[in-house]
This record gives sequence, structure tokens and C-alpha cells, in this order.
Amino acid sequence: MSSRDAILARLRDNRPDPAAHALPPVARLGDMDASRARFEKSLALLGGQVLAPQEGESLSAAIARRFADAKIICSAVPEFEGTVRIEELGTPQTAANVDVLVVRAPFGIAEMGSIFLSEAQLPTLNSAAHLTQHIVVILSESTLTANMHTAYIERPEFHTARYGVLMSGPSATADIQGVLVRGAQGVRTLSVWWEQ
Amino acid sequence: MKVKPVNHARAAEAFIKDTPHLTFHDERLWDLRQKRDQQMHELPEWQELRTLASQIKEHTLANLPEYLEQFEANAKKNGIHVHWAADGAEHNRIVGEILEKHGAKSLIKSKSMVTEECNMREYLEPRGVVVTETDLGERIQQLDNQMPSHIVVPAVHKLTPDVAKLFAEHYHTDPNDDDPQSLAWSQRLAARPVILAADAGMTGGNFVVAETGSFVVCTNEGNADLSATVPGLHIATLGIERLVPRMADLGVFVRMLSRSALGSPITQYTTHFRGPQDGSEMHVVLVDNGRSHRLGMEDFWTSLKCIRCGACMNTCPVYRRSGGLSYGAVYSGPIGAIIDPTFNERKYSTLPFASTMNGSCTNVCPVRINIHDQLYKWRRVLAEHHELPFVKREVMNMAGRLLGQPKLYRAAISGTETALGVLPRFALYNWLNPWGKNRELPHPVKQTFHSWYKQNRLKTKKKGEDA
Repeated sequence: MSSRDAILARLRDNRPDPAAHALPPVARLGDMDASRARFEKSLALLGGQVLAPQEGESLSAAIARRFADAKIICSAVPEFEGTVRIEELGTPQTAANVDVLVVRAPFGIAEMGSIFLSEAQLPTLNSAAHLTQHIVVILSESTLTANMHTAYIERPEFHTARYGVLMSGPSATADIQGVLVRGAQGVRTLSVWWEQ
Repeated sequence: MKVKPVNHARAAEAFIKDTPHLTFHDERLWDLRQKRDQQMHELPEWQELRTLASQIKEHTLANLPEYLEQFEANAKKNGIHVHWAADGAEHNRIVGEILEKHGAKSLIKSKSMVTEECNMREYLEPRGVVVTETDLGERIQQLDNQMPSHIVVPAVHKLTPDVAKLFAEHYHTDPNDDDPQSLAWSQRLAARPVILAADAGMTGGNFVVAETGSFVVCTNEGNADLSATVPGLHIATLGIERLVPRMADLGVFVRMLSRSALGSPITQYTTHFRGPQDGSEMHVVLVDNGRSHRLGMEDFWTSLKCIRCGACMNTCPVYRRSGGLSYGAVYSGPIGAIIDPTFNERKYSTLPFASTMNGSCTNVCPVRINIHDQLYKWRRVLAEHHELPFVKREVMNMAGRLLGQPKLYRAAISGTETALGVLPRFALYNWLNPWGKNRELPHPVKQTFHSWYKQNRLKTKKKGEDA
């Protein structure tokens, strides 16, 4: 007998009575506030930032101001040029040289300040989202969902994306003496730009 | 040769003697517990979430064969290669074969307790595969040749100078670097080239979704996503108990996992893998390693609900003051003490005794595992199987003789002052009980509660009646 069949047979022999353990209906609990204010508060708690335009500044002007030293700015959105398109990166080794990556998230979660990215937003190279030093995420207020329950119930991406990451602020660690360090091995900063 | 039981109490002695390490460890974990409480108080639905999580997990475990088959069918449809491993040896063989087929000589991996269970590094390295842990805490432990001492914060028993010394040795950084920020930066700089050059990547999986054939990885450093997406080959090691039926069930679990573990609302990364990237290959290895056996243990099967948040460890007074390494097992703390004996009853026979039975572990568990009840039940099982350590047997015999004779017991407590002042010291601080060392009892009370109540409350009550 294969290990697969042996494991399944043992589980069938040993399991508790399935009739005694019904599956509860899908939960939809908690605060249903899907506002931008709640999202921003959660984002700040997890170390993310809002890139706010100064006096009607464009996205490219705001990026130039915020990341003055950046040499390679990679764009994964049509309305912003950058110095290189994500489709042109080709390999992780090239993506590792990117200073700033600009992407658009299909939705955000107010409870957590999370943004979602999948292969649809990171064409040809999922790793680009983690190899870049900084990431700027374009997000529309109208796509905010209240919390994790509503996100999993409402968003089709969880059923269709082959790679789907919820990023909640930048990478972080507290593995050395409990000191929180923002900017561990993935992005060092994560900024949200509200779509006008 | 018979396996020797882990001498947990003796192993903890060295740790207890080292005051700076002990104090930090105790306070850091208690801080995590308090942060967890803050998060819990922000969610009025917390207890409901715990109940739902428990029900979903119990349902899934009772229907595990069907859900595993559903997961397998969907994962295959998505282009994932699915493997089954009865034990650690088979898991390692499968991973070794996948790597060999691809000519992969370097493997970068994120944290996975299942690969620790399997001793995978020890298997792969002699076969010419360089395995690099990419999680900072896990990497520190790998460099120091130690097991993780905590399932979420693997190097929590170390202080900054310990890390500085290790990094100086292996990364040639300044041995006197006392800044965690700059040490973490050193890890980033050391890991990047290894990640970019790796032939294969490996992750674990916090949740496995039957409905979609997905698995979900919850991490903070970004290393898991790098390990999974940079090389063209991603292998995920998944414990078979990690299943949930529906994608929407994750709402319940993701809302509680990081809140229970670290007191943060969510991990920085919550990643859903449902299939390989274009041009890449994805494999999952479903690992049993004793789980199907545990499912048949009437008193202990619910330990399979565990989502590995570590809240029970953070709250446990014995764990906080003895350190994870003293358990001598992959899983330490209260959850380890009820899981480890299912792997090796004799070797881990001492662990269910490393508890004060205060029940705090049960109270913080997000999936409502009755941990302290199971600790108690393990003690009975071990006593019946004669795995009770000699010392515990003797102490229990003494306690049994005392508690079993009402006359003797009443005589002992009637003179409370004398009894609390003398008896517990004698009973606790003798050579038979290593847990009595380094601990003191509260000062004996001057008066028993009953006589105080007679003198005070009764009077007050009378006054109240008069008014």
C-alpha cells in the first residue's frame, strides 16, 4: 500500500465520529467599518505609510520627493513610467537592483491595513514585490473591505490567484532581543498612494 | 539501549542561574502575552472566534481523509505536485529526490516546525545540499547548532551580544555590535546573495485549504516569500492536520493567529499559494509523522487543532523560567508537553510534569485546546505505563500519604502558622524536587482566612444590618 493510502486508511480508522462535529456556517463577524480612516490607522500600526501629495503633486513628483536617492524605479502600472517596466526585469537578479516598485493593489483590508497583490499585478515576476527596497502601492478607497471575514467572503482573487500575498506594512522582525526592526528581508518601506 | 527521558529540570538549571538571560526571557514572553491581551480586548467577538476556530478544526479532523483527498485533487488541478510522507524519513527522501532531479545543491527555506520534526537538514547536508534558514531567528539557531527554543520566536532565549558573537564568527561583523537593527541588517546583507543564487526554495504552511487546493504561509520578515518566489522550484512541507475546509474559514484563523502569537493584528505577510508561477515548479509534501495515530487517542486528539501560535508558551510560568531548549524536544512549552509524548513516550515522559497546572495555557489557546487537562491526563497515562520518573513517584507517594489521611492532613493545616512556615519548605525544598530550587513560597499568613472572616466581615455585616 502507498503511504498515501496507508495514511488515509489510518485516519479513517482513528478519527472521531464525523456526525458529532458539524461544520459551522461561514463567519461574518466584527467591526464592519471599511473606511479609509480605519485602514490608515491599521496601516500605521503595522509600520506602513501613506504617501500624501503636496499641493496637487502628481504621483511621479511625490515619488521623486520621497525617494530622492532612488536610481531604479520600476513601474507595474500603465499611468506611471518609472525607469524600467516590470515586464523588462526578466530575472530576480535584475529585480534585486530595483529601489522602488510601483504597483496597483486590487483591494485593501481596513481591519489590518493590508493590501493584496497577485501575479496579475506583478506580471512575470512575483519576487519583484519582495526584492525591491521600497514599494509604493496605488489603492482606491472604493476597494476597501472591512475585515478578514469580508475579504475572504467577497474577494474572488483568493479563489483565482496562483500567488496572492496580503502585505501589511513593510517586512519586520523582532528576533534579536525583542527589538522591533522594520525593514527585515523584504521591502524596507511600504507606502500607500490613494487613487484620486 | 533504552532511550533516556529528558531531564527537563536539570537542563533548566543552567538557564535559571544565568540571571540576565532568564530575566529577559521571562519579561519578553510576558510582554507578548500582555500585547496579546490588548488585541483580544479590542475584539468583542474574541471568544466567539475561539469557539468557531475550535469547531472548524474539530470538524476538519473528523473528516480529514475526505478533506485531504479534496485538497489533493484541487492542488493537482492547479499544477501542484502532491506527495505523501508517512514519517520524517519518507519526507526527507521525497525532498532529496526532488532536489536531485533538478540538480539542486542549495536550498533556502523559511521556518517550518515540520522540517524540524523530520531532521531534514541533517539528512540533506551529508548528501551535498547546502540548506540555509532565511528567517532571522531560525538562522541564528542554525548558526549556533541549536534547535529553535520557541515555535514563533526561535532565538528568544538569546541576548544581543550572543547574536553579535555568532554573526562575527560567521558573517565577519563587529563582535561588539550591540544594535539589533544593525545586526538584522547584517542578516539581510548576508542572506540576499544566497537567496538570489539558490537552486530551490522551501516553506512550511500555516493553513491548507481543501476547497481551493491552496496553502497559506504567515510570516513577518519577507524571507518566506523570497524563498518561494525567487528560485524556480518551491517545495512546501505541510502537516496533514493543517487543513481547513473553506477559504472563508481563514477569516477566523488569520484574525487570531498573530494576535495570539505576538500581539500584532496580522503578520506582515499572509501569502496564499494556489499554483506555481509561470515557468516554475511547485511541490507539496503532506506529512503524517504520527498525526494519524494521535487522531485515535481519545484524550489527546484535539491537540491536533493547534495552529502553532505559541500563546501557551508565552503565558506558561514554567516555560518562561526554564527556556525552550530545556524541554529537549522540537516542541516545547505546554503544547510541546502534550504533543511530544506521542512521538516518544519514554523520552518525553518528564515533560507533562513541567507545569504548575494553573490552566493559563488553556485560557489563551485560540483553538480551545484543553492543554492543562491533557497535561493531567498524560501524567495518569505515564503513571499507568510506568514512565513516571522516580522522583515524581516518590513525591507523589508522600503527597498521596498525606492527602489520603484526613487526620494527618488536618493536623498539618490546623496550626497554619507552623505548617506554612515549616511544612512546605520541607515538602518543596528538599533534594527530591528540583522545581523547588530558585523559588520561594509567599510568606505564611499570620491568620487563617476563616478566623479573619470571623473577626472582620461578620462584624461589618452586623454594622450594615444596624444601619
